[in-house]
Amino acid sequence: MNARTESARDPFALLRPLAALAAAVALIALVLLALGASPARVFAALWEGAFGNWFALTDTLVKSTPLVFTGLAIAVAFSGSLWNIGADGQLIIGALAAGAVGPMLGGWPRPLGIAIVLVSGAIGGALWGGVCGWLRARRATSEVISTIMMNFVAMQLLSWAVHGPLMEPSGAYPKSVAIAPAARMYMFAPPSQLNPAMLLALGLALGCYFFLFRSTAGFELRALGRNRRAATFFGVPAGAVAIWAMALSGALAGLGGAVQVCAITHRLYEKMSPGWGYEAIAVALVARLDPRWIVASAIFFGALDSGSQAMQRTEGVSPVLVQVIQGLVILILLALDTPAFSRLRESFGRAAEASASGESAAEGGDA
Amino acid sequence: MLRATGITKRFSRVVALDGVDFAAAPGEIHALLGENGAGKTTLMNVLAGRLRPDAGAATLDGLELRAGSPAAALAAGIAAVHQSPMLFERMTWEENLALGAMGAGSGVRLALDRVANDARRLAERLGFELPAPRATVDERSMGERVRLEILHALSLDPRVLILDEPTAVLAPGELSAFLDLLRRLRSEGRIVILVTHKLAEALAVADRITVLRHGRVVATTAPASTSESALARLMIGELPEAAPEKPAPVEAARRVLLEISALTVEYRGNRALDAVTLGVGAGEIVGIAGVEGNGQAELVEVLAGARRPSAGRIALCGAERVWTDEIAVIPQNRDIDGLVLDMPLWENLLLARPIRKRMSRHGWLDRARALELCRELIRAFRIRAEGPGASAASLSGGNRQRLSVARALAQNPRVLVAHNATRGLDLAATAEVHRTLRAFAADGGAVLLISNDLDELLGVCGRLFVMSRGRIRETRPDERTPEALGLLMAGRWH
Repeated sequence: MNARTESARDPFALLRPLAALAAAVALIALVLLALGASPARVFAALWEGAFGNWFALTDTLVKSTPLVFTGLAIAVAFSGSLWNIGADGQLIIGALAAGAVGPMLGGWPRPLGIAIVLVSGAIGGALWGGVCGWLRARRATSEVISTIMMNFVAMQLLSWAVHGPLMEPSGAYPKSVAIAPAARMYMFAPPSQLNPAMLLALGLALGCYFFLFRSTAGFELRALGRNRRAATFFGVPAGAVAIWAMALSGALAGLGGAVQVCAITHRLYEKMSPGWGYEAIAVALVARLDPRWIVASAIFFGALDSGSQAMQRTEGVSPVLVQVIQGLVILILLALDTPAFSRLRESFGRAAEASASGESAAEGGDA
Repeated sequence: MLRATGITKRFSRVVALDGVDFAAAPGEIHALLGENGAGKTTLMNVLAGRLRPDAGAATLDGLELRAGSPAAALAAGIAAVHQSPMLFERMTWEENLALGAMGAGSGVRLALDRVANDARRLAERLGFELPAPRATVDERSMGERVRLEILHALSLDPRVLILDEPTAVLAPGELSAFLDLLRRLRSEGRIVILVTHKLAEALAVADRITVLRHGRVVATTAPASTSESALARLMIGELPEAAPEKPAPVEAARRVLLEISALTVEYRGNRALDAVTLGVGAGEIVGIAGVEGNGQAELVEVLAGARRPSAGRIALCGAERVWTDEIAVIPQNRDIDGLVLDMPLWENLLLARPIRKRMSRHGWLDRARALELCRELIRAFRIRAEGPGASAASLSGGNRQRLSVARALAQNPRVLVAHNATRGLDLAATAEVHRTLRAFAADGGAVLLISNDLDELLGVCGRLFVMSRGRIRETRPDERTPEALGLLMAGRWH
């Protein structure tokens, strides 16, 4: 099939994130050298901590899982130019819903219990995101503002819940009652936290890809995102799309929160998210909003997270450095997307063309 | 003296300008003629510092202009008005004008009132109508935007004024005042460069005419020593087609396909459409003339189903429907309303609802069929594209319009609404669109052609309506001259 998406046709689409990564690594190396540390040893420790052994590898995968969910949430919303900054709040509400429903499921068959917990999370997130979609569609409220505000509401709601209605009877710490064993996710290989949620995330990534690029609704969403005027002119209902797309985005983030409760924490704490909803924006942008690449991008960011801890242990480097790397990768990536880079690409194209025509001329001469 | 020597500009594969020499003297109106893609706009962009040429240089009074620097061009006194206006959509028109020198002063406070007053004075001199105070640009029509751009450029008091197809969106009444303005600017010793593909205009107002073809200068001549047909030959390298066939006489008893009655659209306190009533019969091409911004855009939006009317109804073959898939629309501004530029061609076809429906099964797109349809249309309409997967942005303007027309016809509609369907197209492409419209009508379809090109309307349409301030009126046969129509378009019948 010769019709691929624009990004797939662009031979530099893949190279760009890699070039950004390389540039970030080079910059960091310079900083490390200036500080008198050995870049090679620091990076080796980072790699070791992220992928070096079974424990590191599973830790990386577990840390990546919520980023896949929230990354997909961002990709869906951003594809329609709906700037959902509220994946964090939607994830928290998803976790809250899961943590509220989970304890009631004692005695249920386990697959059903797990399904109910996850679905509750998705519904919670969908409502949280859908409200912002509705505000955008019917009241022309910028979703940027409303989703950020809803993040604060979600955080306070969670805090209130673990201090109040959902608090453990012992009441010593702000945490909720544990969810019923029947509602807990299967584990592949205890004591590692590896669990089927990563497979669910993978499946959803593929599902999101097919939805965005092969379904009629996904096409309408992307058309609105690329050219709102043309899409509405041809009868794409912008309001309805904003509502369902924000709800879908929220559902994906909420599912991420529910998975965290179901598989990892088994109960609610005051802080459920270290900012996965915000990190997801970086994950999605690095993946250029393509759901297939979001898995790789999430694993990259997850690896930085888990690797940074090992780096701190063995080399005494602050994990803040990893945040600097993350920030640099994103900045450099955005910088590479400039006209200057396009010009570079153009001249590359010309050079390639020139050499190609030179070759064919040579062949002509032979014949 | 503005002089460009040996200007060459390539866009990856395409050579837009190939060693172009061009000169214009103070006190001269110099017309730049050429077909679509001849390189007129590229040359203008090079002169205005918006593009850096691959070779060659431009000088003004012997001083070299820094290539690729719009600021340097502006500082040297070169102002350019673009065919597609470059305005800040979400700002008011006063704020847009304030970006120039107009009245804003150098103080800390932005004196928008002074800007508005200066603009009003200048607009009066030109016979332009200004939008309501504090109106944002995004609500303005293309014609109004171009008029704002012209005001903006003039407010810079330029030594060199470059205008890219400025007259395409002006009303006949405005046109003569505009040409007078150009002559006045000339008498003040300024250089006026008029980019156009309208031969008559160039002959009427220019002192010299430079003709571009395929990025090369084929001739520089004076109006006295040439003619329309000679210029046309130079532009396209062959004789233009014979004059368009006369429109078919109006038949009395024709089955009415599209019936619009008492259609009214009100928003933000404006009455954009005021009890518009008109019918289009099978096999008929009905035209609507009018200055842009008089309700045409709203009418098209209602017909496209993108805007709900406040009152009135649209009936198709007698059956009333709020929304119908049997009306296909070729929107004006193909790049803004018609196409999603960074989507591939085949996905742009899917933008049309009937095609999208046809190519969907249980909510999933049938890619193979959509690609096949796209390949067929590329062949049938001779769209020059790499294939169905090429992005719409990679097409030239004419080919984008072909895609837009092809998509409308692929919907198998019974009614075709074409809004400024040939704007910015060259002679050959325009003739092709007209042929397509005629063929569609001959097959029993109904065509509603909304345009501000009077020659087009007079040449193609059977019955002709005039629209002004949201109201519509049919023209009598004796009113079917450009002069009479111009008066009607100016609203002399209210």
